[in-house]
Amino acid sequence: MNFYFSLIQVIGIHTLLGLSSYWILLSGQVSLAQAAFFGIGAYLAGMLTTLWGWPLVPAILMAALVSGTVAFVVGFPALRVRGLILVVATLAFGEMVRVVLFNLNYRIVVDGVEVGPAGGQGFSHIRYFPINGWTVFDVMIFIWVVVAIVMAGLWWLDRCRIGAVLRAVGEDEVAAQATGINITAIKVLAMTVSGALAGLGGGVFAHYTTHIEHVQFGIVLAAFAISYPILGGLSSVFGTLLAVIFIQGFLIEGLRFIGDWRSLVFGLFIVLVMNLRPEGLLHPFSKRPVARSGKAGG
Amino acid sequence: MDPYFLIDTAQSLMSGMLYGSTYALIGLGFTLIFGVMHKIDLTYAATSIGGAYASILVLQSVSAPAIVVFLLAACAGGLIGLLVYFACFHFISSKHPLAMLMATLGMLLFIEEVIIQATDGVPISFPVLVEHSIMLGEFYIRGDLIAVFLVACVCMAGLLWLLHRTRLGLGTRAVAQQPTAAMLCGINLAVVNSQLFIITGLLGGVAGAMIGSAVGALSPLLTLPLTVKGLVVTVIGGLGSIPGAIIAGLFVGGLENVFQHLRGVSERDLYVMLLLFIFLVVRPNGLFGSVSARD
Repeated sequence: MNFYFSLIQVIGIHTLLGLSSYWILLSGQVSLAQAAFFGIGAYLAGMLTTLWGWPLVPAILMAALVSGTVAFVVGFPALRVRGLILVVATLAFGEMVRVVLFNLNYRIVVDGVEVGPAGGQGFSHIRYFPINGWTVFDVMIFIWVVVAIVMAGLWWLDRCRIGAVLRAVGEDEVAAQATGINITAIKVLAMTVSGALAGLGGGVFAHYTTHIEHVQFGIVLAAFAISYPILGGLSSVFGTLLAVIFIQGFLIEGLRFIGDWRSLVFGLFIVLVMNLRPEGLLHPFSKRPVARSGKAGG
Repeated sequence: MDPYFLIDTAQSLMSGMLYGSTYALIGLGFTLIFGVMHKIDLTYAATSIGGAYASILVLQSVSAPAIVVFLLAACAGGLIGLLVYFACFHFISSKHPLAMLMATLGMLLFIEEVIIQATDGVPISFPVLVEHSIMLGEFYIRGDLIAVFLVACVCMAGLLWLLHRTRLGLGTRAVAQQPTAAMLCGINLAVVNSQLFIITGLLGGVAGAMIGSAVGALSPLLTLPLTVKGLVVTVIGGLGSIPGAIIAGLFVGGLENVFQHLRGVSERDLYVMLLLFIFLVVRPNGLFGSVSARD
């Protein structure tokens, strides 16, 4: 039973990560930095509870705040460019954060044990849950309460003015600017919120796994983060949830019987879905266009 | 200032620039695909390494001279490039640029996993082109790096000849300038684009083999850092600019080695990325990019 609880926890954490990508994708930006914000949140929340004895909830909120601030600061130079250069900029930022985490070495003695991030060896003993006697079930409930709050919040925001403005910027920047929307402010806001959400997810992740390492927050995680909303479709938050359940539940865990070849399936699956359903799985079926003009290039 | 320190710094700058010619080739591939199709093909560095791997795996049983390894790597790179074109671009409507980007990201992970599965993730040693080294006064120059640099120069010259002196290049440049008008002139976009992927794939295969011989071994761990470096080079040089990619490749390679000399290997990449951000703030279009080249 604990195996299933643990799987549900993973799905919850990845949903937070996917939702952070969802929010920034709505504004038309492709960010490969979500894994980096996730990593910042994970390291910070882990250090707050383990090194300085913070309670869990303030620690993950602080992680969200700091990740959001970093996203805000990164947002300005990165958002001077758009489209494909932004992809490269966020990819490079992600690598930069990973290198910083790799070099992060700060260890202090707490209760006779030396804890803290130890450079390339990672950050072990984030034992908040075992120390405070949380069972796997409790942790699962906690994670899903967080996920539910975030999902409900985003679902509501999506239906407010801000959601419409965000989608307008994502659809056509020039048209949005013409209607008086300050697109830089909107983009930086989207980046900040998505950074904060990723940081929140990272904070939870660090406590779920108890050991974090810089390699976990590399480009592969960034690919996962961005694939959830794109595969699920951008029509609502539930697309992301569906994609996470499918990828984590079926592709990663369900196909365990095919062994090592399983890791090949994720990449192939993305390629296949993008060819067949380029707007995501949940996007409503549209009538087939009569002629596809300039299908390649242009 | 300690004169030996200066000599060491100059030495690392020089070796770095020679090695940077491989970055220039990878950046060239990215920039060509961007220039013609206005798309980023994230698989490009994986295509290069994949081409080099395919050649070394085929030739593992028979001992072949290094030149055969290079040629086979180029052919394999071209084949993988064509495969990437059909998997990620041909069947996806250009109305969905996000889907294409995502497909190339998926393909990147796929190629990397295939390499890991085929080799069990163990690095494979790669034949070295030249074993001699040259002493030039106080400076020590690795012969294989010079060979790498020369091969890169030949490739770039060949590419420029192809683009500016052949019918194929004319068609490619026409599509880059104005796809619709090119189509009206009777140019088949799918043919030009698939040729573009074969050519960049050939180039990538050579680059992959050069990286293999400069490092001395091929490892699946090379793919992702090379992707990032290649993209950084492309952006610093200016998206779509061929001279930009070449100069930025040498520039990034040289500076990277200086940073490694000054601050150690574990912090090296940090400064390369910072360099990119400085460029994004000061010159978002890169060294040679025109404003209209921004997508």
